[in-house]
Amino acid sequence: MEEYAREPCPWRIVDDCGGAFTMGVIGGGVFQAIKGFRNAPVGIRHRFRGSVNAVRIRAPQIGGSFAVWGGLFSTIDCGLVRLRGKEDPWNSISSGALTGAVLAARSGPLAMVGSAMMGGILLALIEGVGILLTRYTAQQFRNAPPFLEDPSQLTPKEGSPAPGYPNYQQYH
Amino acid sequence: MPVAVGPYGQSQPSCFDRVKMGFVMGCAVGMAAGALFGTFSCLRIGMRGRELMGGIGKTMMQSGGTFGTFMAIGMGIRC
Repeated sequence: MEEYAREPCPWRIVDDCGGAFTMGVIGGGVFQAIKGFRNAPVGIRHRFRGSVNAVRIRAPQIGGSFAVWGGLFSTIDCGLVRLRGKEDPWNSISSGALTGAVLAARSGPLAMVGSAMMGGILLALIEGVGILLTRYTAQQFRNAPPFLEDPSQLTPKEGSPAPGYPNYQQYH
Repeated sequence: MPVAVGPYGQSQPSCFDRVKMGFVMGCAVGMAAGALFGTFSCLRIGMRGRELMGGIGKTMMQSGGTFGTFMAIGMGIRC
């Protein structure tokens, strides 16, 4: 998640853990509301109550899962920053892989490898999209100069320099 | 986050724009992930041909939608 300015380590761990929990609770709440609504018996009151119950029970669990993942990811990420002495996408990708591996430890070594691959691939995709977005932003910035040329083009049309100068100022 | 750049300087995008950008990014990541993992799981089930493409497409849409929603929320809470 490099789309925003992140806190420096170690406060980042707390920040990311809380952020992940919030994301999980809200996102989980949205999906569980829909699921609860659809699984409830017919009748608007039944459906509404089903929705509320599903959110109340499941949203905190989903939030907790997100918090564990986010907190562990950030901890490992900060550890790598300290060890390697630099911050780059490889830290995030490695942290994703290691987080996946650690959280699948109870399922055995084979599941750990699978989860590590999934975590690494997912973080690589996130980093990739982030990099593409950065380039897109840079491209947008490079398109600005053509706009700036328009005011100067209007100046020669004025003919005499005297009236042109105030107009030039007006545009800037 | 991308910043709206104009001839007269920069302006910070609104919360809604950030949430929208988060959703788009999340969808992109989610669909790419869905394509990769979906291909793997559908092939393992034994899907082939048109059935395979249908299965992958479905996984991509589900993954993109879910991921997009969560990243939009992530952007929203940081406005």
